[in-house]
Amino acid sequence: MVRKFVIPKELGEAIEVRLLLWCKTEGQQLGAGDALLEFETDKALVLVAASQPAVLRRCFFREGEWMKPGDTVAWLSDEPGEPLPGEAGAPAEDLLVDFHVT
Amino acid sequence: MPKVFFREALTRAIAEEMTREPRLFLLGQDIAEHGGSYAETRGLLARFGPARVRNTPVAEAMTIGFAAGAAAAGLRAMAFITYLDFLLLGLDPLVNYAAKLRFKSAGQLNAPIVVKATAGAKGQGPTHAQSIEAWLMNVPGLTVLAPSNAGDAYGLLKTALRAEGPVVFIDHKRLFPLGGFVPEKEELIPIGSAAVRRTGRHLTLVAHSYMSVIALDAATQLSAAGIEAEVIDLRSLWPIDWDTLCASARHTGHVLLVEEGQVVCGVGAELAFGLRERIPELRIARLGARRLPVAASPVLEAYTIPGVPAIVGAAHALLAPAAHE
Repeated sequence: MVRKFVIPKELGEAIEVRLLLWCKTEGQQLGAGDALLEFETDKALVLVAASQPAVLRRCFFREGEWMKPGDTVAWLSDEPGEPLPGEAGAPAEDLLVDFHVT
Repeated sequence: MPKVFFREALTRAIAEEMTREPRLFLLGQDIAEHGGSYAETRGLLARFGPARVRNTPVAEAMTIGFAAGAAAAGLRAMAFITYLDFLLLGLDPLVNYAAKLRFKSAGQLNAPIVVKATAGAKGQGPTHAQSIEAWLMNVPGLTVLAPSNAGDAYGLLKTALRAEGPVVFIDHKRLFPLGGFVPEKEELIPIGSAAVRRTGRHLTLVAHSYMSVIALDAATQLSAAGIEAEVIDLRSLWPIDWDTLCASARHTGHVLLVEEGQVVCGVGAELAFGLRERIPELRIARLGARRLPVAASPVLEAYTIPGVPAIVGAAHALLAPAAHE
């Protein structure tokens, strides 16, 4: 199954966040607990870790770019070769993640 | 132009000015190891050391008193007051000492301090969310600044940190989550200069701080109804940029003054009278918070403070023919 990671809307609609770091590159495998990326809000650093195994397939933002709640940041799949949705499509399922806030 | 968080614009301005002026030091609650209530002093302790980045107790009168005394003795100080509400505890050294020192000493002494405080409603309730900046406009000798975005905060704070007298620099809780653009190279914004954020011909909306953001949203909505509003962001509450205000008022003939604070003796009251003195035929309305304390409930907070619908409604009322008769 192909899954997406979306910046959570609970952060608030008006807020913008900055992508600091990709911990994996496209094509790399994540195990449960592996860090996916780190972003920064106006107050905190947020490390996003996968809580299920997945392969990172697509990154839609670069390090240093600004993102808003609701933005899809990445597509991931359970298996490496799974076909991705077309340009118009988007995965329906969210990747299960943990947020580590400092 | 680089995009930064609001707090980063403040940090950069402070760091640049501390580098330029070795006599400048900072004091406030949790500004050293903790990096400030909004992380706006993060990294400054490591860079400039504990003698220049000083934590204070929860004692606002002492904080501003120390800042003003040190400044009178030849240093320069920036004092951090977490919420504008808490400035009430530090008003005596600010109003009775710092603001008057130059006059009392026939120009022999001065208190070059910047007092930064955060105003505005964002769920903190009656005593942590007030916008009482209008009170400060009443004090001779005080400069009062209230930027609405990261770029202005950067340029105005730098100017404030070089100013000769006490400056109160007021930001807003809702500005911190927003990204904004700052100039690549050092750039100062003069005190007493308002900014025209949007041009229009039917009426002028005047606001400051976060209300400028709301006023721009209201102007977009008015535009969809065929009303083109000019939006002026005051940036400086004292001194007032009458030239920019009057030029726009003469152009549109209608001025709606909007603020988050109280209407009674508010920023709008002062501006309305000053504008009427200069342009007697002007049609003016003002809009501010209902005569209630700021509520902690988000529903009641939104009820108390003007939002886009209230501004749009007041603009329509000001422009309606019946209002002119």
